[in-house]
Amino acid sequence: MSPPTDDPVLRSARREALVVFAAWLAAMAYTVIYCYRNGYDRPKESLTFVLGFPDWVFWGIVVPWSVCVVFSFWFGATFMKDEDLGEELPEQEDELGLGGG
Amino acid sequence: MISSFAPQLAASVADTPNVGFGTLAALIIFILASMWIGMLANKAMSAGTFMKGFFLGNRGLGAWALALTATVQSGGTFMGFPSLVYTHGWVVALWIAGYMVVPITGFGVLGKRLAQLSRKTGAITVPDMFRARFNSPTLGLTASLFIMFYMSFMMVAQFKSGALVMKLAWPSSGTLALSEESAAFELTTENLNKLDLPADVKEKLAAMVDHPFNKDSEIKARLSELLSKQELEKHEKQILNAAQPIDWLFLIGLGIFTLTVVGYTLLGGFLAAVWTDLFQSVMMLVGVVVLLFLALSAVGGMENATNTALEKTGPGFVFGPGYDPKGEGRVYLPLGLAFSFFWVWVYSGLASPAGMVRVMAGKSTEVIRKSIFLLSGYNALIYIPLVIICVCGRALVPDLPPGKTDEIIPRLALLTTAKLPLGSFVAGLILAAPFGAVMATVSSYLVVIASGLIRDVYQRFINPQAGTHTLRRLSYFAMITVGLIAVAANINPVDYLQVIVVFSGTGAAATFCVAALMLAFWRRATVAGMLAAMISGGGTVITLYLLGIQGLGAETLIGPVSKFRPYFLLGVDPLLWGLALSLLAGIIVSLLTTPPDAALVSRLFDAEPVREVNS
Repeated sequence: MSPPTDDPVLRSARREALVVFAAWLAAMAYTVIYCYRNGYDRPKESLTFVLGFPDWVFWGIVVPWSVCVVFSFWFGATFMKDEDLGEELPEQEDELGLGGG
Repeated sequence: MISSFAPQLAASVADTPNVGFGTLAALIIFILASMWIGMLANKAMSAGTFMKGFFLGNRGLGAWALALTATVQSGGTFMGFPSLVYTHGWVVALWIAGYMVVPITGFGVLGKRLAQLSRKTGAITVPDMFRARFNSPTLGLTASLFIMFYMSFMMVAQFKSGALVMKLAWPSSGTLALSEESAAFELTTENLNKLDLPADVKEKLAAMVDHPFNKDSEIKARLSELLSKQELEKHEKQILNAAQPIDWLFLIGLGIFTLTVVGYTLLGGFLAAVWTDLFQSVMMLVGVVVLLFLALSAVGGMENATNTALEKTGPGFVFGPGYDPKGEGRVYLPLGLAFSFFWVWVYSGLASPAGMVRVMAGKSTEVIRKSIFLLSGYNALIYIPLVIICVCGRALVPDLPPGKTDEIIPRLALLTTAKLPLGSFVAGLILAAPFGAVMATVSSYLVVIASGLIRDVYQRFINPQAGTHTLRRLSYFAMITVGLIAVAANINPVDYLQVIVVFSGTGAAATFCVAALMLAFWRRATVAGMLAAMISGGGTVITLYLLGIQGLGAETLIGPVSKFRPYFLLGVDPLLWGLALSLLAGIIVSLLTTPPDAALVSRLFDAEPVREVNS
């Protein structure tokens, strides 16, 4: 008997989840650190604008948000794999007592 | 360099704009549209069995429905968030910035696996899946009880919002308030005569008859001027009760709101909840885009908006940690909380019970993939524009006092549309968005609570053989009962609406995040480990809130102004402590207990053997 192997959906879901966690950590680290270093406790005379936004909001929030939108498009359109989710367990054939009505 | 300029359109708090019939007309259209959607959903769900149709929409959700409804926390978006931006300024953009990753974290981490496991186990509800994955009724029941606990808090708070929006829409109601402090006190001659008080006390009180007081503290101060200490001790409560008029508009609003939302949810169940949610999400986007355009035109551009707001407030409005309107030294968003909110939004979306069940209802992995980029675009178009709109709001209506700042969106909508053709109706459409948002949120909670009671408690533990007819009748009965309880709880409305919503969201996230990850990805997870993860996560958040409400840490002036506040241990949100303890407890207890049944794990984790086909 061959050793059990991971379900392909489990394998791809795990790989995708790791990439998502990395993206979340990167977005959080950049945004919070950038905004804290450049957007906190400044005198009002130092305020400049980029495309109408206060400078720190533009570079610390608008830019990473835009990058995340592009990343999400890439992730959803190409990186995430389509899989067969399998047959639904018929409600009356619940032999393992796993659910159904 | 800050330039001085005059906005093209400006108003003071004293200029109360009129709520015309347009708002009421827009709400009536919303109500009719929702009932129509409920009827459509009723037809669509009748294809499968009652339970799967009513509580899971026969697993037929498409990408738009999934994207715009599973993680959009719509109830609070149009109510509390604008008030925060108006009060504290641009730093609120950092507070909400976690939403930039919510589309990928909400669908990319658990989506595919939950959709698969719910099919493999035939699960219809989240507790169903917890029970089936570990073959443990105890685990299913615990999950169900936690879900109903958090959802009940949310429901009660949301009913109040719904009733307040109805009250607001009433022409010449004299209130713009989505505010929680709108309840006024006024002692009328008639009420004074009815009171059983000594004649000399009544005589003294005559000086305050027919005089309105906006706050509890104001009327108490006046009473202490008029009465002696002993008289006050003896009669204050009685006088305060008599001075609080019955808020008929609120109660009528509550009645109409309840009838509508319970009505269409009864008709169409889960699908009605999801479709109305989709409808309101689209309306909300339209409202935000229209208002963004109108507000920017009125103020003369974003730079002008920021500069004017800055002149009216102070540097805190454009820089962190945020503007402190009362000048009491409050630090709105210190580093610890800025960091925390990147967790709060992400994990509340990742493992909210209402969100998880929608992913289970997704049609395919293609739908989940498409939802990621649809929601990603949607979030960017909602949240950043809302921040801009409210900064414009501060420039255009600079002097709303604390406690009335929830009025900023209604005021802006009315102010910027006043001179447009059909302006009242356009304002109405913008204002209908929060009503739709609240209806959709309540509707989805009604479905989750009813499914918890009927599927996870009644069908599992009381009458497993119940037929469709009984289940249908009981589901309807459960929804009506939950609606009536929420109405009863709101006859004396709860305070601290927004913080209750945050408490429920973070509590549910701390309870279910680690547990859901273990369920989906960890073969070695055991029933005891899952229970430990859920109880320690939820317990930590609840404990930190209880400590905060008792006054612990109240001297640290961070976060929102509210008595229903948590204890921010080391300056971070309770969610982070909840998640950390949940993770530790889940792993340690799982490793210390007997491994789970190998056959069960294999069925849910291993690739299915290739079947030989005999032709």
